[in-house]
Amino acid sequence: MGVPDEEVLEMAAIQTSERRFPSPFDVATPLGAEGWEHMYPYYLLFSEDNREWEEQALWFQDGIHHPEVLLPFDTITHEAWRTALGQFNTRIFAVPPAYGIEQRILNGYLYITPVPVSSEERIAERLPIFMRRAGHYYQNWDRLFDNWKRKMTELITDLEAVSVPTLDDFDDEEVVTEGRGVSRGWRLVEAYDRSIENMFMAWQYHMEMLNIGYAAYLNLFQFCKQAFPGIRDDLVAQMVAAGTDLLFFRPDDELKKLATLALDLGIAGAIRQDAKPEDIVATLRTDPKAKPWTDALDEVWHPWFYFSNGSGFYHHHRSWVDDLTVPWSALNGYIDRLEKGESLARPSGEVIARRDRLVAEYRGLLPTAEDRQTFDQNIALARTVAPYIEDHNFYVEHWHHTVFWNKIREFGDRLVEAGFLGDREEMFYLNRWELGQAIADAVASWATGGPTRGGPYWRREVAARKQIIDSLRQWSPQPALGPVPDEISEPFTVMLWGITTDRVQTWLASDAVDAAQDQISGVAASPGVAEGTARVILAPSDLAEVQQGEILVCPITAPSWCPVFGKIRAAVSDIGGMMSHAAIVSREYGLPAVVGTGNATKRIKTGDRLRVDGDTGLVTILSLEA
Amino acid sequence: MKYVVHLEECDSQLAEVVGGKAIGLGRLLQHGLRVPPGFAVTVHAYREFVAATGIDREIRRLLSGSATVEAQSEASTLIRRLFTMQPSHALLAEELKQALVSLGDSTPVAVRSSAISEDANEASFAGEHDTYLWVRGADSILAHVLSCWGSLFTPQALAYFDHVDIVPEDAAMAVVVQTMVPAEAAGVMMTLDPVNGDPSQVTIEGSYGLGLAVVGGEVTPDRFFVDKVTRDIRSRAISTKPVAYRFVEELGEVALTDVPAEDQSQPCLSSREVAELADLGVRVEAALGGAQDIEWAIGPPAPGDDAGRDVFLLQARQETVWSRKPRPPLADPETSIMDRIVANMRMPMRLKAAPAESP
Repeated sequence: MGVPDEEVLEMAAIQTSERRFPSPFDVATPLGAEGWEHMYPYYLLFSEDNREWEEQALWFQDGIHHPEVLLPFDTITHEAWRTALGQFNTRIFAVPPAYGIEQRILNGYLYITPVPVSSEERIAERLPIFMRRAGHYYQNWDRLFDNWKRKMTELITDLEAVSVPTLDDFDDEEVVTEGRGVSRGWRLVEAYDRSIENMFMAWQYHMEMLNIGYAAYLNLFQFCKQAFPGIRDDLVAQMVAAGTDLLFFRPDDELKKLATLALDLGIAGAIRQDAKPEDIVATLRTDPKAKPWTDALDEVWHPWFYFSNGSGFYHHHRSWVDDLTVPWSALNGYIDRLEKGESLARPSGEVIARRDRLVAEYRGLLPTAEDRQTFDQNIALARTVAPYIEDHNFYVEHWHHTVFWNKIREFGDRLVEAGFLGDREEMFYLNRWELGQAIADAVASWATGGPTRGGPYWRREVAARKQIIDSLRQWSPQPALGPVPDEISEPFTVMLWGITTDRVQTWLASDAVDAAQDQISGVAASPGVAEGTARVILAPSDLAEVQQGEILVCPITAPSWCPVFGKIRAAVSDIGGMMSHAAIVSREYGLPAVVGTGNATKRIKTGDRLRVDGDTGLVTILSLEA
Repeated sequence: MKYVVHLEECDSQLAEVVGGKAIGLGRLLQHGLRVPPGFAVTVHAYREFVAATGIDREIRRLLSGSATVEAQSEASTLIRRLFTMQPSHALLAEELKQALVSLGDSTPVAVRSSAISEDANEASFAGEHDTYLWVRGADSILAHVLSCWGSLFTPQALAYFDHVDIVPEDAAMAVVVQTMVPAEAAGVMMTLDPVNGDPSQVTIEGSYGLGLAVVGGEVTPDRFFVDKVTRDIRSRAISTKPVAYRFVEELGEVALTDVPAEDQSQPCLSSREVAELADLGVRVEAALGGAQDIEWAIGPPAPGDDAGRDVFLLQARQETVWSRKPRPPLADPETSIMDRIVANMRMPMRLKAAPAESP
């Protein structure tokens, strides 16, 4: 019945496979950013020492986790996952075809490439180790996940307990009376090391169960794709993920309860005042009528407000505990909706019913009893791992990192006190090694009474780096660098980063075609079609601008953007795959979503009229902003 | 009645009497599916007719010793002429007239073969016998029934008899007489993906006018790929459809007509109709069991009916390519889930389905 679309695609792939992205060695430094390399550790830079290896690989800008220019300190998160992901794939579980993910920074942006296991002998050697070790995790998943939650909670408690001593003129009396033998200065050095170590530990745990969890998802995906070649990816995802009681809906659910309570207590008007949310809360604390509400807020504050407005990967992704603007806007929205008599319940009952219907009906289409048995096993394993896959972010990127970014700022305070920095936020212009050096410098000169070099040195350096970072922010990173392989087959790259052969072809094509076209294509991540006005949001701090019924257009979404999904009509993102948060949350809210468009935030302006087709993955600009 | 059975009454017990097509339509009707009303002319009518007229002896004589393709072709022409030269069959004519009362005397009908053969359900005879469209009036219908009988002996059919070792004089044919749907759009649908066998898909092809243009490959049809479970359209390919078969009043027959330029590249079906068709496909599959190859037509809305155009099923038969393929389990039941996880990690993955082997 005609030529299958795939054949056409194949032909396109053959025609374009000769094309390549620029070599990382040919990318120019943006004007004003000269010397940017010195801000980052040497091992994260492209270099002549490894040029041959670096030039044969295809590098992707990691727009999912690190879409923004990296201030030097912020490299800590990707360094942490680089080591952790790599060791679990390469050394611990011995994932047969995949080593880790290599990283390089170019013009301030993070590029990544998966390291393949190239020899069949090596794959064969790794196979029994993987079977045994990953098998152990699958068999004991629930117990190990309980254990994981305990480890993670303890780690957070440890981090909270780290004290960051000030460098006082004279040390404490107790150093003498208790015979401690250790100074505040040394405890400051130790506290820094403990904090950094704690961050790396969090990522050790993060990766402990993640990739083998994804391997179980992948197993179900592949089976469904074989059995039902035309099935949409999001339907497979719906069979597993949707409807489970996800932690990342919890903060939002707590806001809904607070909205209900505010109405019950008759304090909605006080909450709605035009003032800073923090000031409103302070006022409410003086009002006896509002006490049950402030008690309820205190009750859920820890950990549910340790919820990042971003992905948690950057120091400036602040959380609800740091700034109540985002949750406050959502809270007011919920109060409004309750007053109009609307229900705030997520349609999770429907979602579960749909999930069960999908599983039953696709299962019924399988031709043999053996297939149905395989399907059942695959679904069961995917559902076993799902709670970890869905919830680990809350523990690590939200709860832990909220604590971490605040703890680490205390070291910035010490450097301000030492005269190294003008402002605590300037600490992020130093990478983690440099920050350690600065602390060592401050402590040593505090100890000797001699002059520090850090004051003039870092003030000069930070001023120069601010200019460099500004220049780098003006630069648009290439989505990829290097030669285009025939096939993108590394399983985790596909699953976690949504990068496939087709996506790469789209990137290549979008370089060539007229950008004036009014259509943007991406991954159809959540079904349905919606039209509305675009709201382009580049940073989570702007989330409060989103108006009811608009279409959210953003680089990525993070779990904490949940409240905004109750307002919007559809979602479009630059980066993301089937299992990205925008996709999961959109499916949960029943909103159309197109993710992984590459450049929607650049091509769409706030105010444009859009049609988002979550069935085909096509975003159409119907008319430009008035 | 001896020679005519209404489609509603055609059940599998009558397989040897009314033929595969009539049984298929009867089963659709029994499951409450919309099929244009009609009846079957039984194989008894055929047998009595050839015996009474002596055509049976003539067939035997003409076919004996015609082993070459040329001789068979000549025999075919002569045999078919026999059917058109005979005076009509009085009793059959009477029953036909009675049956037509329920359809409406001058209602246009289609006259098609309904083969009696063990393969009848599997479409092996597809296209080998004649179909007559827009036939009106009892006399004309009767004449076309006889012509249809004659088409039992087309050269292709004779070759096929040889191929499957059927003695031609033992062959017999029932005929279906069915109200014409003045189709605005028509086509075929399969309850799987014919390219890769995907059982979770309904594949619909359609074009303007009668289904002839699609079945005969005279236009590139619009294609709609529908998820069987969610009923969402997975994708669609709208083609340019410059021509359509329609009944042309001035000619008094069905002819190839031009489609207005502004309609040529429009989808021939609305999304709602696509969903309705897919829904019918799933129901037919559930009713008849196994993947189905279905012909459908969409008529104009009934006068005063706001519910939209009416969808009719014209035929349903077992899909033969994928249904006959052995379907080994996707995974060896002896393997563990760990084996499968490893195998899957090693399989290059694309978000789009990989090109499947063609049937």
